Amino acid sequence: MIYLFDGAMGTMLHQAGLKPGQCPELWNIEEPAKITAIHRQYVAAGTNIIETNTFGANRIKLSHYGLEAKVAALNIAAVTAARDAAGTHAKVAGSIGPTGKLIAPLGELTFDAAYEVFYEQTSALDKAGIDYIIIETIIDIQEMRAALLAAKAATCKPIICQLSFDANGRTVTGTDPRTAAITLEALGANVIGANCSLGPAQLLPIIETLAQNCSIPLSVQPNAGMPQLVNGETIFPMTATEMAVWIPRLAAAGATYIGGCCGTTPAHIKAIRQVIDTLPQIKIQRNSAFTALTSRTRAVSIGAQFAPVIIGERINPTGRKALAADIKAGNFITVKKEALAQIKAGAGILDVNMGVPGIDQASAMKQAIEDLSSLVDVPLAIDTTDPITLEAGLKAYPGRALINSVTAEAERLESFLPLAKKYGAAILCLPIADSGVPLTAIERVAVAKKLVALAQEYGLNRHDLLLDALVMTVATDAKAAEETLLTLKLYREQLGSPAVMGLSNVSFGLPRRDLMNAAFCAMAVDAGLDAPILNPFDPLMQDVWSAAVALSGRNPQAVIEYSKKYVDMPAMTTTMITADDILFQIRQSVINGETTGVAPLVRQALTENHTPLAITDQALTAAMNEVGQAFGQGHCFLPQVLLSAETMRTAFNTIKEVLPTHQTQSLGTVLLATVKGDIHDLGKNIVAALMENNGFTVIDLGKDVAPETIVAAAQKHQPQLIGLCALMTTTLPQIDNTIAALHANGFTGKTIVGGAVVTDSYSRQAGADAYADNGVTAVNIAKQLLTTGK
Amino acid sequence: MPFYYPRLTTVDLDETRRYASLGRNVDFSTLMLGEACTQAQLLSIPKGVWQLYAYDQDAHTILANEPVVLTADSIIKHLTGAVEVAVMAVTIGLPLEEEVSALFLKNQYNVGLLLDAAGTTAVEMTCAAVCSVIGQQAAQAGLSVGRRLSPGYGDWPLELQPEILELATGANIGLSVTDTKMLVPRKSVTAIIGLYPYHHTLNLSHQQELPCDKCNQTGCQARKETNE
Repeated sequence: MIYLFDGAMGTMLHQAGLKPGQCPELWNIEEPAKITAIHRQYVAAGTNIIETNTFGANRIKLSHYGLEAKVAALNIAAVTAARDAAGTHAKVAGSIGPTGKLIAPLGELTFDAAYEVFYEQTSALDKAGIDYIIIETIIDIQEMRAALLAAKAATCKPIICQLSFDANGRTVTGTDPRTAAITLEALGANVIGANCSLGPAQLLPIIETLAQNCSIPLSVQPNAGMPQLVNGETIFPMTATEMAVWIPRLAAAGATYIGGCCGTTPAHIKAIRQVIDTLPQIKIQRNSAFTALTSRTRAVSIGAQFAPVIIGERINPTGRKALAADIKAGNFITVKKEALAQIKAGAGILDVNMGVPGIDQASAMKQAIEDLSSLVDVPLAIDTTDPITLEAGLKAYPGRALINSVTAEAERLESFLPLAKKYGAAILCLPIADSGVPLTAIERVAVAKKLVALAQEYGLNRHDLLLDALVMTVATDAKAAEETLLTLKLYREQLGSPAVMGLSNVSFGLPRRDLMNAAFCAMAVDAGLDAPILNPFDPLMQDVWSAAVALSGRNPQAVIEYSKKYVDMPAMTTTMITADDILFQIRQSVINGETTGVAPLVRQALTENHTPLAITDQALTAAMNEVGQAFGQGHCFLPQVLLSAETMRTAFNTIKEVLPTHQTQSLGTVLLATVKGDIHDLGKNIVAALMENNGFTVIDLGKDVAPETIVAAAQKHQPQLIGLCALMTTTLPQIDNTIAALHANGFTGKTIVGGAVVTDSYSRQAGADAYADNGVTAVNIAKQLLTTGK
Repeated sequence: MPFYYPRLTTVDLDETRRYASLGRNVDFSTLMLGEACTQAQLLSIPKGVWQLYAYDQDAHTILANEPVVLTADSIIKHLTGAVEVAVMAVTIGLPLEEEVSALFLKNQYNVGLLLDAAGTTAVEMTCAAVCSVIGQQAAQAGLSVGRRLSPGYGDWPLELQPEILELATGANIGLSVTDTKMLVPRKSVTAIIGLYPYHHTLNLSHQQELPCDKCNQTGCQARKETNE
């Protein structure tokens, strides 16, 4: 059966006389007859479900009109007005719209505050006697999670969750329909769908994707086409007939709750009713028999029919003092670094453990989950034994997380399984009973079956569960690995849930653990392991993993990826250094920017009795000249020049290290500053770096430097050259002021100016001796000025 | 006032390459560029805030409590046809620019330069994310958004920076402006976006050139073409 919602309320209210700037929900109290009359038009048009006039009747939205104290009254009055029209012909859905604020960390509203706002509104609607709750036009999955959790707590009526997607097929904060479907079904939505923002043509592919990724009913309420503002009025161009044409396709895609959003009227609903009444009964095949985790923006499927995926284990302070200290100090930079590096190394899911003794682990977990959710788009596993920490993480997580982990021990089950159900998380089950760790595969499978049955009693299903096969060391029991591998096989044959486990226990107490772990990983993938928890930085493991996944045949791309990865691996090369070409080698090293390779070459040159002067002139300066020339000709670019400068700096430092008494001869003293009022210093810093590496003594006064400071420094250091820089038009006059002050105070050296807005002609009128439009030119001009005086 | 603190799940490598003055076909270490992008991701604290105002296009006036009259041709032309404007402020915070300065002090010039470029990419991506939300919300009222334009581009003087920052309520995300009209933190942007009725959007591409089109540094490696 297809249920037909009503159409737009806002459009109808304005037609009925609501003025711009007036609170639409206030009419529930002030003009209830008009509200009922609008509902009646929709009932007469053939709607099955009418929506209350409560889209903005939450505390935050109502506060714009000073009506925040009237949440209950406005919602209750709205239900009464709707009931009067619905009679026995239609059901009533309590409409809940967004707060208009984004939830932290994407905005300022806390999750708990949003939850309270939605709970208050849903409670009022429930109390007034609605048949459904419809949460609609939500642009952020975290706001939808808060609203859905609040609605589940406040009512036992079915809850319809509709997100708004934009033209690129994602919500404003990045959630795609597949991710939304998996997240919201797991979280307990009864119906999910899409409304507003787009017309039926644009919403069709979104409904198709939702249908492929969940088993619950789907709803769709398109706008009457894409909105246009004509002569000061927003209009929606699609006629009733044009819109009704799309209904068979939306129904064929899987939508069983259909209605209209902005711009739709009773005429649209009537036309849609006529089409629905002629639609043949169709049975849509829905595919939702899989386990998946989601982040805000991505879903990762896990199981025998999908590519195996690595769960990175590095965000765990156990045995890692530095990481533990950072977490304890509230510094999550290392945690974030570990996350990015693990993803780069191949992890598809990240395990997050905040088990630092003596800290508030719940706060740390919330912080880590918020930070990581803003940084990465792979799903996260929340790794804890503490239910309070677990709930803090689950609440903050804008997706479907994995809980790591639960055992068959009664205490853990009672606290963890309800949280998994409440927050729509998947859960990793360890077949460990109160009696301890079962040693054989048969015993483990028996405990796992018991766990699965218990989880089902808490409302979880098989797709919510992942099974751990338990890994013990072969150092004390030669059969340990064999039992684990057999457990994996039996899991797949008898239970079908995905298998997940940490690998490294297998090698505990043995040498070359990396070797043992990698071999075990390959065998486990073959036996049915879907997601190993491992250290993705281990190079041997990376290689064996690539090969094992390619061999497993479970990822059609894996062989291609393997080929790509290893065919391009550069062969090891050995550089032969001969006495004859050592200066040439140093020169090439500087040109190529080999910051780590230059030091041994310089040491060798010194050992071979090349003088520092010869090294500087024939290798280093020659190299920088060549680089400068290439830059001038457009053959190389600033980062390459700076890399060469860094290499040259390393070479100088090496000379000093080997011959501490060696003094380099300075080409002259240069004083540099960014002028007063200007806080930009990148360009000046680049010039300083290049000047210094070309043999000048540089006195860098920094940024935002007043003319009098520059004059004083000039008198103190007696530089041959002063370089001034300004980036913005507002600070340009300070160049003039500074040069004038220098001349007034008797400075007889040269001045050179530069910066984004400085031009050659400006430099002349400011009284500068020279202008340089980049650092390399500045060095060349400096050399010329100091040698020729012009 | 609407806030949006966008996620930064990636910092675009190609854009960073461009901002680092590396031409399209320059052979330069992707590894180094990638590391700079990762570092920028770690150090950025992306934040955005904006306010919507009605716009009187005949009087070139932003109708705030204290109306702001626009006088520069570039911004007036940019907003021709707009019925509302969104005034936005965006920043990625201080840590990245502090790290760039620290790197130069440690003689790591190249990494410093690349990180600065990646920071520019990060702030531009933050702007794009904020503009996307503004656009999405405007679309619900049947309005289309144009390109953003910042003070200092074209003939629109930087002197208006304090007024624009105030209109955007930028202080709420920690932004301030110096006496010389520079934003602090440096990796920040203020801008105005016009909101146009649908029928006007057909003319937008002719009316709204990229800032690069208005700049006379034609040899700039970071230059963007209008059709990009």
